[in-house]
Amino acid sequence: MLESIDLSAPDVEEKINQSLGLLNEKEEELDKQLEALSARKSYLETKIRGITKALPNLQIVHSDSEQLAEMISFTCTLAENVSAKVRQLDVARSRVSECQQRVHDLLDLQLCSDGVQTALSSDDYEKAAAHIHRFLTMDQSVLEQTADDVQQDCSAVTNSLTLLQEAAGQLRDIVTIKFTEAVKKSDAASVERFFKIFPLISMHDYGLEKYSAYLAAKLDEASAKSMKTSLETPSNDKRACVVFADLLTVLFETIARLFEVHQPLIETYYGPGRLLKVSSTLQQECDKQSKLILNEFNKQRSMDRKIALINEVERLGTSSSSSALNSNRLDPKDIDLLLSEISIMHSRYQLYVRFLQRRISNDLEVGIKDTASRAVHLSEMDALIQNSDLCRRMQTLLGHYLLLERYYMENSVIKAVAIDTIDKASQTSSMVDDVFFIVRKCIRRAGTSGSIDGVCAVINNACGALETEMCSALRNQLKLGFPSGYLDLTQAYNVMLQGRLQTSDSEQARNTFLVYLNNADVSSECVTTLCRSLCQELPCATSNDRAKLDSCVAGLSSVTAALGAITDYGLQQLRVSAVKPRIGPWLDTFLTLSHNLTQEEFSNYEANEPFVRSLIANLNMLLLEFENVLTNSNYDALIAILVSEVTTQMEKVIMKSEFNRLGGLALDKEVRSLVTYLSNATSWSVRDKFARLTQIATVLNLERVSEISDYWGQDSASIPWRLTPGEVRQIMTLRTDFRSEEIRRLKF
Amino acid sequence: MEDYKFLFKVVLVGNAGVGKTCLVRRFTQGIFPPGQGATIGVDFMIKTVEIDNEKIKLQIWDTAGQERFRSITQSYYRSAHALILVYDISCQPTFDCLPDWLREIEEYASQNVLRILVGNKVDREDREIPAQVGEDFAQRHSMYYLETSAKEAHNVENLFLQIAAELMEQMRFKELPRYEQEQAHSINGRTTAIGDSCCSRLS
Repeated sequence: MLESIDLSAPDVEEKINQSLGLLNEKEEELDKQLEALSARKSYLETKIRGITKALPNLQIVHSDSEQLAEMISFTCTLAENVSAKVRQLDVARSRVSECQQRVHDLLDLQLCSDGVQTALSSDDYEKAAAHIHRFLTMDQSVLEQTADDVQQDCSAVTNSLTLLQEAAGQLRDIVTIKFTEAVKKSDAASVERFFKIFPLISMHDYGLEKYSAYLAAKLDEASAKSMKTSLETPSNDKRACVVFADLLTVLFETIARLFEVHQPLIETYYGPGRLLKVSSTLQQECDKQSKLILNEFNKQRSMDRKIALINEVERLGTSSSSSALNSNRLDPKDIDLLLSEISIMHSRYQLYVRFLQRRISNDLEVGIKDTASRAVHLSEMDALIQNSDLCRRMQTLLGHYLLLERYYMENSVIKAVAIDTIDKASQTSSMVDDVFFIVRKCIRRAGTSGSIDGVCAVINNACGALETEMCSALRNQLKLGFPSGYLDLTQAYNVMLQGRLQTSDSEQARNTFLVYLNNADVSSECVTTLCRSLCQELPCATSNDRAKLDSCVAGLSSVTAALGAITDYGLQQLRVSAVKPRIGPWLDTFLTLSHNLTQEEFSNYEANEPFVRSLIANLNMLLLEFENVLTNSNYDALIAILVSEVTTQMEKVIMKSEFNRLGGLALDKEVRSLVTYLSNATSWSVRDKFARLTQIATVLNLERVSEISDYWGQDSASIPWRLTPGEVRQIMTLRTDFRSEEIRRLKF
Repeated sequence: MEDYKFLFKVVLVGNAGVGKTCLVRRFTQGIFPPGQGATIGVDFMIKTVEIDNEKIKLQIWDTAGQERFRSITQSYYRSAHALILVYDISCQPTFDCLPDWLREIEEYASQNVLRILVGNKVDREDREIPAQVGEDFAQRHSMYYLETSAKEAHNVENLFLQIAAELMEQMRFKELPRYEQEQAHSINGRTTAIGDSCCSRLS
């Protein structure tokens, strides 16, 4: 462990010391270990004592458990012995019952073979079928085996078997023939009678097939009859315009009635879960009948010609209105009734589909317990409905409907815009009411069709019609501008006194402008209302449908943005031509009045209010001109424009004037009366808009330059300033009595 | 809930059976549904994507290709921000119909709509239309061009993300002046804003 030390080495002592140190350390360590071990000694001793005490106990436990194991194995053998006996008993019991079953079968076999013959000979098919049914429920191979086992009876059993098999075949033939005969004679009672027999003789599928064919034939007959009567409907009859919708309704109702009447029968005798098979046959017939109806519809309502006409109009565009085209152009009014008819047809179809889905899926729910195979059947049902000829035809019809509806809506809107009339009693022209009446009508009509895709398409088209037709009409009118030649005072007085406008050209143009400005504003409201009511009144079957509809409605409501932009555009026109040029001169009179006042002049000024009194009178005149003509929100917007113009121009003239203390006081009073007047003129608060002007007046109304610190500062009493420190300094220089170095010294 | 910066409407059109629904399903749900039945009318899906840390909500309208649904699908063109025109690279007739589709787009869609031509089903061995032919067609008609496979998820994510990025770029330049279109035209006489210059291949 220790390296050997070379005693001759010069550093021997050092090395020895080093080794000694190491050894000492080692010793200490060992001491510690020894101490630790001896400390554990007592602990270990107690443990050992405990264990020695427990030893005898362990022996007892050991013998006990051996005893227990013996007992368990004994019980086990006992149980095994008992259960073996039970098993034997069970086998014996099942053999006995099997045997009983066989005896029963044999007895029944005899009974059946006798019964079937008598029943057949007496034409009692129900009884014969019942016997055959009993026979069919027997296990025939077992019976044959029995015949082999019991040799002496062999011939009797085999005889009965062959007899019954023959009888079954015979009965099948007979029932098939009788059923066909009954169908031929359309003897409903017999049809039903034999229909009930099929399942007894294991001919479920055949029976259902035949029966469905029978029902289909009935359907054919019924709809041929109704088609005949409807085609004879005189054209002046009030149902004449919806005769094809009625026909389709009758067809669907007939099918529904067939289900209603015959479903219980099928369910009772064939069991649930068979409706899908029946309806697939019926659907084929329904396809055939609806095809007849729809073809006749297309012919009578000359759908192809109408669609071709519309396509041609759209292809050539609205701009090229050649006379040949105009002459046989479709009048939207002419297709109004047709559109209603198609929407009814479609809604009936939707009802029919929902009826089928409900009926069949309920039937499958009861009839097929296995979820996987039920899912297969359910998808078969969906395929049956979706792939049917009827479905395809209705989709095509919906396509035609949407084309016609778009044409109707677009052209009606164009017409409404074209025949727009201005009624003096109303703030808007006829166009707004007309356009929204049309749009709402079309969307609601699409809503009655029950197709969410149809409604969404019409909403999309409405959005297009509003934006391209109505918005552009509004925008174009407003682009003509508001004629700036305004009424002078005397004229305005006359107008007020006479209570009517003398219609000169420019007056008329002004009036039209304002009406269209209102149109834009009211239309925006109409769009919002329309969207809100659509969301409420249109039903949606699934959340996906809801999302689709919401998204399309959101598209429609974005028309408000376009209308808002148009309104803003119109209001800016008003600002430029009606507000700005008139306010300018009114405010310029401020410059002609000195605000460098002596006490006497001030009293005089205060008494007469030369500037603000006439300004308010003028503003009042201006607002009166618009107050009842504009809609509330347009009027408020106009006041906002007025306020902003008055404040900016007022600021300008103030900056061009000079003030002394009394002049500042006069100005402060003037601003206050202006704010009071305009606050009363409108429903919203104008004080905020006047903040800058009021503050300018406050600065000019100061006693001393230093007084500004009362208003301007960090303390809570200070007002939120709209003026920059630079502006405050500049305004102060307008006071002739403020010294410029004092102003310069100001600290903010 | 309404936590997004932009909302764009993307509409897919093209012949029946070219794989529009599969492209949408692959993108929105990450699945390729085999034996997908024909779409009825129009289907609607939403997916939010993130571009440059901005949430963008894509409203995807998957239209039926069959002729009898045309009236329904046409109504969605006008408000679309992007139109994806899809054909099947292994089926010549779907390519031959493209001019018809372009005519429809011209007639109903907004003029500065973003248009993308997509050749789908590149996983198929029996290609009938070479990529170059599709690309040339797209170039002639100022469209983006992209080849995809919904089955193998090739380029599908890329397609929609590029559209979102491009539309966002447009938005940043001008707040998509859909409503001021007329004004925009009269001011600078420009009818196609970005469509003209965007004929490059998405990479």
